[in-house]
Amino acid sequence: MGLLAPLFLLGVAGLVVPIIIHMIQRERKEVVEFPSLMFVRKIPFHSFRRQRIRHWFLLLLRCAALLFLILAFTRPFFYAAALAAVTDGAREVVILLDRSYSMGLGDRWSDAQDAAIETINGLSPDDRATVILFDNGAEAGSRSTTDRASLTGLVNAAEVGSGVTRFGPALKLAEGVFEGSDLPRLEAVLISDFQRAGVESASGVRFPEGTVVTPIRIDDGEVVLENVSVAGVLFEREYFAGRERIQVTARLTNRAATAIDGLNVTLEMEGREIEALVADLPPNGSATVDFAPVTLGDVPMSGTVRIAPDVLPRDDAFYFVVAPGQVVPVLLVGSGRGPDDPNLFLRRALGIGSAPTFDVNAVTVDEMTVSDLTGRQVVVLNDTRPPSGSVARALDEFVRSGGGLLVVAGERSIWSADAPDLLAGEMGMPSDRVGRGGALGYVDYSHPVFEVFSAPRSGDVTTARFFRYRSIQPHDDATVVARFDDGNPALTERYVGNGRVLLWASTVDSFWNDFAKKPVYLPFIHRVVEYLAGYAAPTPWFEAGQVLNLSEQDVALGVGGLSAADYVVMSPSGRRIPVEVSGDRGGFINLMEQGLYEVHDGNAASEVPSVLAVNVDLAEADLTGVDPEELASMVTGRAGGTREVEPGETRAMAADDLERRQSMWWYLLVAAALFFVAETLVSNRLSRTALSAE
Amino acid sequence: MADTHSAPGARFVDPRVLARIGNLKLLARRVVDGFINGLHKAPYLGVSVDFAEHRGYMPGDDIRFIDWRVFARTDRFYVKQFEADTNANFSVLFDVSKSMSFASKSISKLDYGRYLAACLTYFSTKQRDRVGIVTFDDDIVTRVPPSAKHLDVVLHTLDRIKAGRPGAFEKPLFRATEFFKRRGVVLLISDLYDDPRTIVDGLKPLSYAGNDVMVFHVLDPAEVDFPYDEATSFQDLETGRKMPVVPEKLREQYRSLVQEHIAELTRLCSENRIDYAFFNTAQPLDHGLFQFLAMREKLKRVR
Repeated sequence: MGLLAPLFLLGVAGLVVPIIIHMIQRERKEVVEFPSLMFVRKIPFHSFRRQRIRHWFLLLLRCAALLFLILAFTRPFFYAAALAAVTDGAREVVILLDRSYSMGLGDRWSDAQDAAIETINGLSPDDRATVILFDNGAEAGSRSTTDRASLTGLVNAAEVGSGVTRFGPALKLAEGVFEGSDLPRLEAVLISDFQRAGVESASGVRFPEGTVVTPIRIDDGEVVLENVSVAGVLFEREYFAGRERIQVTARLTNRAATAIDGLNVTLEMEGREIEALVADLPPNGSATVDFAPVTLGDVPMSGTVRIAPDVLPRDDAFYFVVAPGQVVPVLLVGSGRGPDDPNLFLRRALGIGSAPTFDVNAVTVDEMTVSDLTGRQVVVLNDTRPPSGSVARALDEFVRSGGGLLVVAGERSIWSADAPDLLAGEMGMPSDRVGRGGALGYVDYSHPVFEVFSAPRSGDVTTARFFRYRSIQPHDDATVVARFDDGNPALTERYVGNGRVLLWASTVDSFWNDFAKKPVYLPFIHRVVEYLAGYAAPTPWFEAGQVLNLSEQDVALGVGGLSAADYVVMSPSGRRIPVEVSGDRGGFINLMEQGLYEVHDGNAASEVPSVLAVNVDLAEADLTGVDPEELASMVTGRAGGTREVEPGETRAMAADDLERRQSMWWYLLVAAALFFVAETLVSNRLSRTALSAE
Repeated sequence: MADTHSAPGARFVDPRVLARIGNLKLLARRVVDGFINGLHKAPYLGVSVDFAEHRGYMPGDDIRFIDWRVFARTDRFYVKQFEADTNANFSVLFDVSKSMSFASKSISKLDYGRYLAACLTYFSTKQRDRVGIVTFDDDIVTRVPPSAKHLDVVLHTLDRIKAGRPGAFEKPLFRATEFFKRRGVVLLISDLYDDPRTIVDGLKPLSYAGNDVMVFHVLDPAEVDFPYDEATSFQDLETGRKMPVVPEKLREQYRSLVQEHIAELTRLCSENRIDYAFFNTAQPLDHGLFQFLAMREKLKRVR
């Protein structure tokens, strides 16, 4: 006889409890008043610690009930020879069931489930099996079990997901099961539609020698599948009558070899159908559909572009959340002197852009007042001295409370000693670079300002020539983000309070350099201002399978900032997912389903939830298949095969299998329950007898 | 017990029923009247007849009491003596110490004793005796001298008594001796929680003074049987002393000690011509009256 959880035997110590209860004469708290203790005092004192057990039968009942309960928890089983003997032909079977959304095409999923159930039913009593459900991730049920019911239940309960086919994680998981198995025959049953897109991830997986891979292809044979996908949407923002409008353009893809005419395409905003159009798609081609502009409100709106359902309904809808365009208010402060407008390039650069748009207001430093700072996120001191007096103090307060300040050094930039201590460094005298001028020699591409230029062919900031710039002596608490080729800091950053200050050592017009005439000038100015304003673009949709940290998704959620409270997320299928913010893995949610997720903030005053749009990866819509044998040979090194079995070797069944087959715990639990019932009856009777005696 | 209940009037004398009657006089009347009615079938018929005995004529005796019929038969002078001429004092010595207030059920020893005293006082009044009462704990508390008109005063006193202080016997009995100069019947009602010898020594002077002393020992059933189960602390009602007790272990010893105490009291009382009767508060009150009359009858025979 063996025990599956022998540690529970420690509970036997609990048997002492009823014995102690029976042994100890509980002393009542209330005092009995007695006329005289004359006779009691005459009785010699005895030690009453060792008491007599009065109700032996009750004690035995209680002990037996506890003992059977403990034994039930230890899950005992017998090593019966007939059960323990396993024939040499026992198999370790791993059933890999593809649940990517392409399996929802036609009857594929039900066929796949039937194939899996058939495999399970075909297992011999000695075989052990594991069911792995996979798309771009893999999930295993009970590992290496003989419990057919749990395997069948897992298959029946599985649903088609929103992920894409990736064989790699599932095969890796199966490899782990095989490596941990001591059975002579290993077999993987791979049930999938075998899309080529998922094969690449399987490279590097190698099953143990002799493993048999049995692929079961689920497809629709020679039937021509007409599958159209909504591949994506584009937004065009515009202002009309003072209100912001977006025009949604949907891109449709036809992956069938036949043209599709008269396809209905609808745009839904906030669940209501706004417009329905008809589109014609060429064979293996795509088309765009332009919807009429929609006026945006003050809060983010969810939308869906939907086409008539076809054989693969998952890619027939595209969800998005469109937030009202954000405006970054910028104050340009110039000196007001000089024949040319030093703000020209800056104003033109900031005048372009829709995400975000820049609300630019220009004043001279002499005219600047405290009220000019109101409502501004970024102030640019462009080639001018700093303001003085109350305005200087207001500027200092503005920065410390979270505002952004860009100081552009130029001819007239003189930072006097009584000016606010905001600069990232001491400005020296202008120095000239003769000949071709200087260039940026060091750029920190990891900095948000230059991050957009980090990728190849995304803009070269070193092509600009700088003929004059001021030497900068950075403060200790400042960071140099870019330097000229002679080592002089070009862009220096300093955090002041909650705000950020950037010091650009040259001008932002064409007077000291030709940077303003370079293509990188526009994105550079945009990134500088966006960085100083702390702007982040909202994400209109995510892909299924993506993992999000909700506490960092303020912008994605389109709200001004979620509190640190716990969230409750409602999935598109209506599943309630509580998300705790605290803890190492707090705030994370795996977006598994396609559709609109509602995020409810526990502490938010508003009842209106934030919305996240999740779309499927359209790579899965490419139904191009791969030869299953090709995949089998990838993981086994050859197509098919058998494992050598050592003759005459018998292996015992695993203890948990024996225990599961015998299920003695169930009988023990029933016995314990009966004992408890008997104990209740007996103790009640005894109590009643005692009461009536009193 | 069943016999007494079967007697006529017995249904009126269950102490638990009597406890509902607030008026002691009414209570006593119910008990005694019912009891007297029952006497017609009782073995005590003729107890209250006036004639007591014959005695030889002594010079100076009233010749009116010479029984001439006896003279005719025996040729000797005998004088008839009558009980009626006694018109005795009946006094109750009532222990009102704190321990008397104990009650395991509905009726306390104090109440039971109160009813007993009320009934016997009423009964004695019916016999034209003078009635009085002395209550005591560790000293004399109240005293009502015996008088033929003191029934109401005695009942009123009984009605007012409260058990409050610890009790003792030596001092109050010694002082009570001074009250009973004239011969009479003295009835001590108490739970007798003291050394039997001390109690009897305290009663001896009363007995030697010519009084018929009766002792009614009243105990609660719980004091006799000790029916407690749970281990707990017991507190002495009089001294306040607490003692952890495991009743289960003590019960047998306790019972035997109580029985020894009763036996000792019985023996000492018997040796000193003191009538002793034990009462359990669960017993009907007429049991007390029977005991009383049985003692009186016995006294007559001895005399």
